Amino acid sequence: MSELLYKELRLAAHPSLYVFMCMGALLLIPAYPYSVVFFFGCLGLFQSFMFDRETRDVFYTALLPCPKRDIVKGKLLLAVFSQLVQLTLSLPFAFLRTLYLPEGNPAGMEPNIAWYGFGLMVYGIFDLVYFTQFYKTAYKAGVSFLIALIPVTLGIIAIESSVHFPGLGWLDAMDGPALIRQIPILLAGAAVYAAANVLAYRIGARRLERVDL
Amino acid sequence: MTALKVENLTKTYPTFTLDNVSFTLSRGRIMGLIGKNGAGKSTTLKSILNLVSPDGGRIELLGMPFPEREEDCKQKTGVVLGGIDFFQHKRLETITAVTRRFYRDWDQSACDRYMKEFDLDPHKRVRELSAGIRVKYLIALALSHGAELFLFDEPTSGLDPVSRNELLELFQALVKDGKRSILFSTHITSDLEKCAGDITYIKDGKILASAEKAAFMQSFQHLRTPEDAAPLTLEDIMVRTERRTFHVGVTL
Repeated sequence: MSELLYKELRLAAHPSLYVFMCMGALLLIPAYPYSVVFFFGCLGLFQSFMFDRETRDVFYTALLPCPKRDIVKGKLLLAVFSQLVQLTLSLPFAFLRTLYLPEGNPAGMEPNIAWYGFGLMVYGIFDLVYFTQFYKTAYKAGVSFLIALIPVTLGIIAIESSVHFPGLGWLDAMDGPALIRQIPILLAGAAVYAAANVLAYRIGARRLERVDL
Repeated sequence: MTALKVENLTKTYPTFTLDNVSFTLSRGRIMGLIGKNGAGKSTTLKSILNLVSPDGGRIELLGMPFPEREEDCKQKTGVVLGGIDFFQHKRLETITAVTRRFYRDWDQSACDRYMKEFDLDPHKRVRELSAGIRVKYLIALALSHGAELFLFDEPTSGLDPVSRNELLELFQALVKDGKRSILFSTHITSDLEKCAGDITYIKDGKILASAEKAAFMQSFQHLRTPEDAAPLTLEDIMVRTERRTFHVGVTL
């Protein structure tokens, strides 16, 4: 498994993916719909898939001494790696803004515990839709991205607008009791993310087995 | 001993069918898979490697069933797919560093030796190499992980005569010790005349003949006409077998 990820990082990943992994720095913008960071994460992965098509990565991987389904596993490892690294790298910026921007984010949701939980859900849904769509053909990167973008966009709109609804103010809060109240959202996000990725692998691998490269 | 056994390999597309393809490649032999463009050569090779999922048939690589033992089979197989060059912008040393991690029997000193022998500069990027050198690089990688079966899809197409000759000589050197075997598809008949020991001829997805070269040539001599002073060459055999008449009455 580690060699698959190593291969993805050294040969397959487009350089822009690494830039998009650092998009957590956007959390330092005083007023911004921070969930756009999740969109950038998806965009980086899409760029990488386009790049892979150009570099004929799928043929290289298919000829390595591993089963055909490992092509999907390698890409999914890259997706999970880039998404978790992006969220982890954003943590210091989320902390810094509490020190230097205590007045909060007037444009949308605060990057708090709930926000990270929702982010995992968005990424889980993206992976599930994108991978299952893409591996129907193993080359239609653009159409698959557009299809996966529909639930991602709806999710981002829902996250950013939720805090403006009466009664959901606690989702936007940064105080201790509210953060504790948000923990179940983070746990739910982690569960959705894990389940969606397992499903994305199973369905994607099954579909790829039927694809003629 | 058998290096590759293909039995009743079948793959159906809407407009083309690979129809019960069967042949056997013995160890230490070079087999040429010939046929005109679109005859099914690449589909056969891709089906053998599970890149294309066949509808039926049985494949055995180096005595192991495929794809049941896909990983073990691929550990001992080297492949060059025609016209497919991956990672054009990457340096050879980067591709080598990644590739070696996947093979149990990787021999780095052998890799360094082959790179030197084939005049391959590890600092060069794939796009800086000529077509012939790219094939040599893939052969060097395959030799470094102890490949015993080489599958080449049109490895000589697009090469100048000198590079082609060099590559064919390399093929012969590879099988010299009797441990390695090569199956290579081509539509360049002179390649086969130079180095193939066995020939398998595929036409419209079906195997017309598969035999040792002399026996193969003999089996097609019935195509000779009284005007032919010498025995038919491989090119004559192919041209006469593929000849067809158009509805306007022109014969090609």
